[in-house]
Amino acid sequence: MTGLGRLLGVHWRTQWLAITVWVVALGMSMIGTAAGIVSLYDTPEKIHTYAAAVTVGSSLVAINGRVEGIDSLGGIVQDEFGFLAAILMPLLGISLVARTTRREEESGRLESLLAGRVSREVPPVAALVVATAAILATAFTFAVGLALTGIPLSRSILYAASLAALAFVFAAIAVLAGQVTLHARGVYTVGLLALAVAYVLRGVGDVTKTWITWLSPLGWAEKAAPFAAMRWWTLAIPLVVGLALSAAAVAYAARRDLGSSLSRRGGGPARAGAWLQNPVGLAVRIHLPSILGWLAGALILAAMMGALAKQFIDAVLGNPAMGTAIGVTTVSPLDGFVAVIQLYLGIVVMGYAVQSVGILRGEETDGRLEPRLAGRIPRWQWLLAHLAVVLGGLVLIVVAASLTLALTTAWSTGQAARMRVILGSGLAYLPAELVLVGIALALFAVKPRLFPLAWLSYGAIAFIGFLGPALRLARWVLDLSPTTHVGNPPLGTVRMLPLTVMSAIALGLGLLAVVGFSMRRVPQG
Amino acid sequence: MTAAPVIRTHGLTKTFGAVRALDGLDLEVTSGEVHGFLGPNGAGKSTTIRILLGLVRATGGEAELFGADPWRNAAHLHERLAYVAGDVALWPGLTGGQCIDVLGATQGTLNERRRAELVDRFDLDPTKRVRDYSKGNRQKVALIAALAADVELLVLDEPTSGLDPLMEQAFQEVVRERRDQGCTVLLSSHILDEVESLADTVSIIRRGRTVTTGTLAELRRHTRTTVHAVTALDPADLAEAPGVSDFVAERLDGHVDTRFTIDAAHLDEVIGQLHHATIFTLTVAPPSLDDLFLHAYGDAPQPEASILQGSSR
Repeated sequence: MTGLGRLLGVHWRTQWLAITVWVVALGMSMIGTAAGIVSLYDTPEKIHTYAAAVTVGSSLVAINGRVEGIDSLGGIVQDEFGFLAAILMPLLGISLVARTTRREEESGRLESLLAGRVSREVPPVAALVVATAAILATAFTFAVGLALTGIPLSRSILYAASLAALAFVFAAIAVLAGQVTLHARGVYTVGLLALAVAYVLRGVGDVTKTWITWLSPLGWAEKAAPFAAMRWWTLAIPLVVGLALSAAAVAYAARRDLGSSLSRRGGGPARAGAWLQNPVGLAVRIHLPSILGWLAGALILAAMMGALAKQFIDAVLGNPAMGTAIGVTTVSPLDGFVAVIQLYLGIVVMGYAVQSVGILRGEETDGRLEPRLAGRIPRWQWLLAHLAVVLGGLVLIVVAASLTLALTTAWSTGQAARMRVILGSGLAYLPAELVLVGIALALFAVKPRLFPLAWLSYGAIAFIGFLGPALRLARWVLDLSPTTHVGNPPLGTVRMLPLTVMSAIALGLGLLAVVGFSMRRVPQG
Repeated sequence: MTAAPVIRTHGLTKTFGAVRALDGLDLEVTSGEVHGFLGPNGAGKSTTIRILLGLVRATGGEAELFGADPWRNAAHLHERLAYVAGDVALWPGLTGGQCIDVLGATQGTLNERRRAELVDRFDLDPTKRVRDYSKGNRQKVALIAALAADVELLVLDEPTSGLDPLMEQAFQEVVRERRDQGCTVLLSSHILDEVESLADTVSIIRRGRTVTTGTLAELRRHTRTTVHAVTALDPADLAEAPGVSDFVAERLDGHVDTRFTIDAAHLDEVIGQLHHATIFTLTVAPPSLDDLFLHAYGDAPQPEASILQGSSR
């Protein structure tokens, strides 16, 4: 284990920001969820209504899990946080390990370290130590936060520990994947595939109430039952499995060649077709993985929410306070529900918008823009080719997600009449989404080093959209976000003037981008 | 040569904030020549090239590419050239062959026959993903795309870093062939052997200024030859002979041991004088290009260099 300390020092210096962001973001969302629930369900009756609502039918059980002790505040937290935790905790483990193993090897930085006083089996160990430290810090925040909101300390600790153990298993899966796949992408692929399998197994097991749940790491966390039976011993399963996987990774690392892997991808075509040689074709190729990823995310969100529409509406009718908290009234709960989901989808689409314009910035900083512009493609043509693909992806995501939401809502509530309205309300968000595309594009085209401001704008819009009504922010603050001006369809009325103004602003920003891009220096690091 | 210059800059300046990257740079590349573009790191080579490609706008001075403004007519002018950047970056998900075609479509027209021949000569597996290529192989992809293009001008920014000697040789052969076919080449390089064997003319820049420019023959002619002679008699008046400097003579074992440097124009005359003193041994070392480059790179430019700058205009 020569050089473990040295490698840990390197990891800390390069990863401290990512670790801090993960721990703070996870901790905040958990504490926020818990605090919201405590203030919302302040009487045993309300808790009981909630428990009754979420245990009806099997959709919610499949999505959030079958929570034991749902009739308690902690149970509600576990249920509400269930879906987020099932995705984010494994992702925490996977991403930190991918960043510290294969990515380092792929970039060639590991070579310099292994040429020094660091022995071969140390990198997977160091990656696991770093990930485990981040996981423990997250779990500590969870336990303290839950205890502070009034949930019994021992139960808070078991719940936090079960989530930590969940993240640990996936960190260990990633450690092994980091040794057997050739690229950092492979680590993510293996990790997310394992997560998908675990999610399905847990869902099937929970819905059928069978032992299948016990096959899934997500099931192990759930069966710890922190707000009911408190099975501490279940923590041993992920711990043992994780350590076994890590031991295999270390054993393999000690005997394999640097830069080698078990799985190796084959070659590809020796020639590029006319499509790829076309600026738009290459742009499609560059943006496609990101478009498909966001599309999948938006469709899953839309389908899940649509499938839950009926239970959601029943829950609001049973507990008006819960509806008020998220902005849904009992007058027309279906429209209110759709309005909330469309706002959320709009914010997801805006995330796509900023990220996809960020791909253009990536082309520049990675050095691929320079040879393109040194060719016969005029700058405006390159920019518009990419913009066309970005916008095509955006419209595709909006339309597909709205259609999915319309279909699943109709299936869930049995009311097919609202389908056209649901689709229309999704399209009403387009001008607001285009404004953010314009902001991001103008920043990239005129002052590329200020591109992070696009993410800052997105953060502000998401904050105002998610929490603005609940926090009762001042009118002028709400008005800063383009989503405010859409008019909250289909619950509120959409007026043409704001949509036209936003479209004009987006167009103006687009023109500014085309002009600015033709005048600036390329590349700017 | 009387042909119109393909590239011409005069008094070119570029500032990035407080940093002065180019400080009155002069460069002239004539049609059909391989022009070596040399200078230490940070001298402004890549900035000059980017200005010529219309990627960066000059702060002052003149720059012409094919007689036109490289900033305003960028995309149109680029049909006539191909460029290999110093740091080759490709699309990781594509194969090498796909990248050649994409870059080929970006530049002028790709010559299919030459493309196939170059893939063969550079020994490249075009079905491999870029992600799996070594640095040298990525370099080959960019070189093949540029060298296979039917263009009038090749702009190569340190194109052979990462190539093995065999590939370096193949590269030099192909560049010579392209030159013989009438292609002009601007070759920025650190590899002096490569420049010496390829370049017809060179420009050496330092701190954003041109230090030396001219044909290699001119450079040689204006550089001093080192002479070491052992003679029976004392070549007495040699110290004052025209063109001679650094003169040192001493008497050893009854012979006269003389060392001096001489410019090319007076070499024949001086050898005649040595002949009269009865030569035992004679060593005449021709000017080394390395010496010239290293002196021009260094802080104190040689007096010869400034003479040369004046005479080659």
